[in-house]
Amino acid sequence: MSTSRATKTELKRIDLYSSENPVASHLDGVREYLSSLFPTVEVEIRPCLLRATKSKIVDTLAGRLASARMRNPASRVQDFVPMYGEVEYEKRTIRGSATVGGVVYDASKVAAAAGSLLKSHDSLETASLVFTDRLVSTYSDDDMRHHLRTVVCGFPGVLSISGIYEAPARPREYYFAKRQLKAESAGDLALAELEQAFRDEFIDYGDPRAAEALKGLSLQAVMFHLSLEPFCGDSRCRLFNAHWQKDLIASQIVSGRLCDKHEEIVKKLSKKPVLSW
Amino acid sequence: MPIFEKSSERSITRAIISEFAKDMEKFSDTDVIVIGGGPSGLVAARDLALKGVKVLIVERNNYLGGGFWIGGFLMNTITVRAPAQKILDEIGVKYRQFEKGLYVTPGPLACSKLIAAACEAGVSVLNMVSFDDIVLREKNRVGGAVINWTPVALLPRQISCVDPVALESKIVIDATGHDAMVVKKLEERGLIKTPGFGAMWIEKSEDAVVEHSGFAHPGLIVIGMAVSTTFGLPRMGPTFGSMLLSGRKGAQVAYEHLKGDKD
Repeated sequence: MSTSRATKTELKRIDLYSSENPVASHLDGVREYLSSLFPTVEVEIRPCLLRATKSKIVDTLAGRLASARMRNPASRVQDFVPMYGEVEYEKRTIRGSATVGGVVYDASKVAAAAGSLLKSHDSLETASLVFTDRLVSTYSDDDMRHHLRTVVCGFPGVLSISGIYEAPARPREYYFAKRQLKAESAGDLALAELEQAFRDEFIDYGDPRAAEALKGLSLQAVMFHLSLEPFCGDSRCRLFNAHWQKDLIASQIVSGRLCDKHEEIVKKLSKKPVLSW
Repeated sequence: MPIFEKSSERSITRAIISEFAKDMEKFSDTDVIVIGGGPSGLVAARDLALKGVKVLIVERNNYLGGGFWIGGFLMNTITVRAPAQKILDEIGVKYRQFEKGLYVTPGPLACSKLIAAACEAGVSVLNMVSFDDIVLREKNRVGGAVINWTPVALLPRQISCVDPVALESKIVIDATGHDAMVVKKLEERGLIKTPGFGAMWIEKSEDAVVEHSGFAHPGLIVIGMAVSTTFGLPRMGPTFGSMLLSGRKGAQVAYEHLKGDKD
């Protein structure tokens, strides 16, 4: 998009597209949070974009999602013809007859698939945030491998709910202890005890702190839409891009607020949320 | 006074041949052929047979049950994670809770009960028979299986005239474990390209085996550990819950498909 097109465009809507199996409190909290920061913007929760019943949409979307599978963590996702079975699996997930899980998807391809279904895709007056239970990754040229992501900023932005639990790394000691238990063929009970011992140091499935974290992560996607600058270097700011669970908890739960600089920026935007790029 | 009724060798031979011939004629065109009689194949076959579907299991060994007779490290304790114990309830297998959500039962008990349950449901079985190749129909849809006696594979190479026979079916289910023998036949022909191991989300692999159980190719459903090979899921430990539930899921998918054909 050209700079001239974006400049002076005012954000009027934020559409929050539910994940496949949404927890009601998650998006309600995000809506309230974003509405409080941007009172002039209409924030609305919409049905899951990656669920459908019409055959044509199901078929097209299933093909795109099956092609978005990350098959090799050590290389970019190339264009490939997915297996019939992979497309069939995606059809079941789209129709809601199979649970999403066990697969990592290339984030940009998921965003493109979701974007193709958005009527507001070309309008910068609307920020679309697509929440999903799917795990998404991006490929990094720095270490030449894929990394799981929680927020993938873009048009639309993609937020992986399972990414909150899986993407930021847990404490190193946790992984060492887990590896040790696996080497000893320890049972599920021992693994559960390990999770319990570290429970305060990472957000796990079912943890109510995920709802709070999701608010700040959603703000990052909105800030990208407004300024192309979604992140802050201050680990106590909600815009901090956390790669470790401890940083996620510190920025989103313990601090739970913006740094002074971003507090000021958001305050200005709250009066008139104009795109600055 | 003899214990047994009088009969002759001739009658016994006739009984074997005529009954088996009748069965073979019946098998030549069936609704579903399940290749592999391990736990997932047995559950799938039983579920389908209970719904009135004509099902045949092709098993290369003389015994059914696959790895379900024994658990890990040749120790015959079977472990099943919730909610798969409900299938044990259905077939009358007693078990006990080892820890929350993890159940244990002797392999011989669970396996023999599952085999009996499948046979009582009306599943037909061809044991000591190996899957040799696939039957392909229009647009490369899988439409049956080519089979041969298992001992044929052990014959000297000079004896090459033991041709197989083909059985037709509406659906073939690959329940051949990690070998994924039916899928591999499609791959040999360049009709499918499996992604290989390693790109899956390991923590969720057991769930993923169940959720991916279903059509891998028109006419071909994969269940059990063949799912793992086909979709590139990591190998799993010796726990059987996902095998049982994968079989059930495969049967559901097959039944819906067959129902759709009739509608």
